[in-house]
Amino acid sequence: MRADMVRGHLDGLLLAVLEPGPLHGYAIIAAVQHRSRGALELRTGTIYPALNRLERLGLLSSSWQSSGERRRRCYELTDAGRHTLAGERTAWSEFTTAIGSVLNPAAPPGFAT
Amino acid sequence: MSATSRQADPVEDYIAALTATLHGPARIKARLIEEIRDGLADTVTAHTREGMAYQRAAHQAVEEFGTLDELVPSCQRELTIAQARHTARAVALTAPFLVACWYLAWTTDHDQPWQLPRTAQLLAVHLAGVACVAALLAAATLAATGTLARWLPIPHQLPLAVAWTGTTASVAMAVATLALATASVLATNWPLLAFAGALAAASHAVVAASARACRRCARLPAT
Repeated sequence: MRADMVRGHLDGLLLAVLEPGPLHGYAIIAAVQHRSRGALELRTGTIYPALNRLERLGLLSSSWQSSGERRRRCYELTDAGRHTLAGERTAWSEFTTAIGSVLNPAAPPGFAT
Repeated sequence: MSATSRQADPVEDYIAALTATLHGPARIKARLIEEIRDGLADTVTAHTREGMAYQRAAHQAVEEFGTLDELVPSCQRELTIAQARHTARAVALTAPFLVACWYLAWTTDHDQPWQLPRTAQLLAVHLAGVACVAALLAAATLAATGTLARWLPIPHQLPLAVAWTGTTASVAMAVATLALATASVLATNWPLLAFAGALAAASHAVVAASARACRRCARLPAT
């Protein structure tokens, strides 16, 4: 799936993979690729400014955590982030239903004029 | 690792180019660069674990990350907003000092034969007015680029507006410094006015530097 198709949904994807618990940048990238079974072509560098933006908006919080000899910045959802994720899911569901009804030639019964 | 081999490392070259291209508050820029370096290092490690040679793994990691042309605009956008917030915070915190300085200048030596001349009092009112307006704009910027940005898009020209608001406030602070320095020479209670002048000078230094950085960031292309 092309990167430009993913771009508009990046915030929702990042919030969704952080729902189970805190992750650092590379783990977030890996989670997106794992969940999409490699179908989503993310330019992986673009998630770092996106994570910073979501943190500025108060949807994520972050902290440095030690992992072996290295320190990594880990992100987790805030309450506002969970609320926004729920909104993203609803919007996505409505969007796919609307696009599906246009693309699918089988019109619902009684819809024809 | 020798200097020659470090130069040949695609990851280090990428990070060096990114560091040279991006502008913004030093701490936030350093944090962003460090995270990106960590991400690249993790990607390289994942590839080398799969049996790839380091050089090839590093090239692959950089390719997957995206070109600088793809990455820089979104990174610079965040840094420009961070710089605008930094400048707005500096203005919001220091502008009240300017008002306080002029209040001191106005009230000091009240019972003495010498008082601030009429021109200086008018100047004080105008500078305090500039400081108040700048502080209000700064507070609005902090709100607009923070949680409010979840619902309202950030105007594209906002960082430039903040940069010029900061510049205006810093000029007002410089004028206040000169006026307070002059007044302290004439006043009986000169230590108080000299202190107020020093406070205005310090505020000017902080705001002017941040506003200059904000003007630079606002001119850079960002998405």
